[in-house]
Amino acid sequence: MSFTDILTVLLLLAGASFFLAGTVGLLRFPDVYTRLHALTKADNLGLGLMLAGLALQAESWTVVARLLLIWVLILLASSSVAHLVVRTAQQKGIRPWKR
Amino acid sequence: MNIASHLATSRPRAWLFRLVLFSLVWWLLTDGATASWPVAVPVILIATLLSVRLMPALSWSVPGMLLFVPYFLWHSMRGGVDVARRAMHPQLPISPVLFDYRFRLPPGLPRVFMANIVSLLPGTLSVEIDSEILRVHVLDEAGDTRQELALLENRLAAIFGLTLSFVDSEGQH
Repeated sequence: MSFTDILTVLLLLAGASFFLAGTVGLLRFPDVYTRLHALTKADNLGLGLMLAGLALQAESWTVVARLLLIWVLILLASSSVAHLVVRTAQQKGIRPWKR
Repeated sequence: MNIASHLATSRPRAWLFRLVLFSLVWWLLTDGATASWPVAVPVILIATLLSVRLMPALSWSVPGMLLFVPYFLWHSMRGGVDVARRAMHPQLPISPVLFDYRFRLPPGLPRVFMANIVSLLPGTLSVEIDSEILRVHVLDEAGDTRQELALLENRLAAIFGLTLSFVDSEGQH
């Protein structure tokens, strides 16, 4: 196993642990607003780390560019969708959970 | 508005730029496969047409954009680590609050762009864009949300080549 392979494994594991943390947040956080915090931020970082790990294994620069494009498009989609969900929640009068 | 008059009124640079951008995206997605051209040409043209109609031409600065990339990557990382830590922590250390931020950016794309980025930064989620106000849901009220948002707004102003009106430390005009 080369150094690059080891780095890929580490990045994939780090990415997976952020997905896990995002899912734990989805289950443990108390309301729709806080749950979307967990989903958008932890999963985006997890995905970014995973794509970085895969980019190290890419055979050409177009593959790297395509992975980057995927990340940017998913960032755009997840932040837009999170905004639409919480905006709808607010318009329906769902009050944020308070400690 | 028909296509011809729209072509005449919009800026040709925006057309050209978006045509090149969408062609590049298609080329990347298909790995330059020539067999896809009969589909690619109409799709790219329609995408360009729609984008120019839905999103007006806007000037943006390349240095501002390049400076924004490391800032965004660093804060996305912070945001992910912060929320992951809170989710895994036994005591679930969150104390959410809604916060209203008064925009200094002009209406339109800069504000939408800011609302999108805010949701990816540590501890903030855009709830609503309301005339002059961006309402954000803050995961932990302990942080200085106003200052973080003001700094982000400065960065975005640099991208779009805008100067923001003077704001004192309280964020009031």
